[in-house]
Amino acid sequence: MNNWQLQLAKAITKIENLDFQALADAARLPLDDSSVHIIGVTGPPGGGKSTLCNQLIQGLAVSHKVAALLVDPSSPFSGGAILGDRIRMQALVSNPNVYIRSLSNRGNAGGVASSLVSILRLLMSYGFDYIVIETVGAGQSEVKIASIADTTLVVSVPNLGDDIQAFKSGILEIADIFVINKGDLPGADSLYTSLRESAQSQRQGWTPPLCQTVATAGLGIPELLAEIHRHGQWLGKENRLVEKRKLAAKFEVLELSRMLLQKHLDTVPAEVLARNLNRKDINLLQKLDDVYGELLNIFSEV
Amino acid sequence: MAPIRVLMAKPGLDGHDRGAKVVSRALRDAGMEVIYTGLRQSPEQIVLAAIQEDVDIIGLSCLSGAHNSLFPKVVDGLKAKGAGEIVVFGGGVIPEADIPGLLASGIAAVFTPGTSLEEIVSWVRKRVKNHHE
Repeated sequence: MNNWQLQLAKAITKIENLDFQALADAARLPLDDSSVHIIGVTGPPGGGKSTLCNQLIQGLAVSHKVAALLVDPSSPFSGGAILGDRIRMQALVSNPNVYIRSLSNRGNAGGVASSLVSILRLLMSYGFDYIVIETVGAGQSEVKIASIADTTLVVSVPNLGDDIQAFKSGILEIADIFVINKGDLPGADSLYTSLRESAQSQRQGWTPPLCQTVATAGLGIPELLAEIHRHGQWLGKENRLVEKRKLAAKFEVLELSRMLLQKHLDTVPAEVLARNLNRKDINLLQKLDDVYGELLNIFSEV
Repeated sequence: MAPIRVLMAKPGLDGHDRGAKVVSRALRDAGMEVIYTGLRQSPEQIVLAAIQEDVDIIGLSCLSGAHNSLFPKVVDGLKAKGAGEIVVFGGGVIPEADIPGLLASGIAAVFTPGTSLEEIVSWVRKRVKNHHE
């Protein structure tokens, strides 16, 4: 039973490490499988995302195969990371229908890892019915998840600010479903009222519903699962899911180009860089007629 | 380019996780990706998590005195699932007299109180590097 998990886990590591062959292999796998539902969960640190994901996965895994990708931030100083989302999911580890993988964002802004879509392709080929992605604890502008997930859940908790916070642009705009977690805390009702106004602004005919949950107690989870299912059905009509997946594919192309370019630049030896910068014909103080050409020269071995 | 991936786990029933957290931070500060799985893990849970996370190495912390029973079960479980190449090390309040037995059962190293973080970090680096070569 664990043989496929061993194999899958090693393949994900290679993609994460931007192994060219692994990326090329993943690129051959389709991203348009409409039987797979990709659910993104985002929201502030400490909002209960992991606990909520634990409940969602438990509910889904009763009758389906579920993969979870849990993204946490890397250290800006060492590049290392503490990946701690699994702590809330201990009961799931021995469930044969569930595969859980923690990912560092490896310094990538926007709340997810650059290689995420390539990993999604791989997971789809393993026959998962649901893929749950938990982003890093998000502030106001970590919105990349909306380009990747079919259904984006934005988790809010009471008492993080007044109604002006709910009025602002950014993360609240990407919600397909609003989740008010810790809904038993005082302030949950006023948060509900503020978010209801954000939810009124329809996007292409979908009005984001508001779900109130207490994830630690499992309250509101069946209702939330029903809304996720309803959004999935809505996406299935009028070619909407295909359009969603196109967004994900574009995200993949742009992110991987950037990462591979960075990887390439990192391989230019420091002495080559220094030598090129010192070459007389690159006089950075004078006006440059061909700035891109000069940049390429700086990074090329000549 | 490829960071070392470490699973830090506390098998057994004691709730003393300060040591595991301090070591996790030191490994993070050394550029490693540390998956922290929290308290009260069974050896089976640790083995499954390590496989799903494709880690290079597992750190086990135990302060309850059950190390002789729990640590070798992790090593055996990894072997049984075809993941015997994952290195396992341990730490905690472990009597000197128990260490040779743990090493013989496949635990690669045991770090007791008073060990410097530098020593653990450099040992992990060296052990995983040797392993990859």
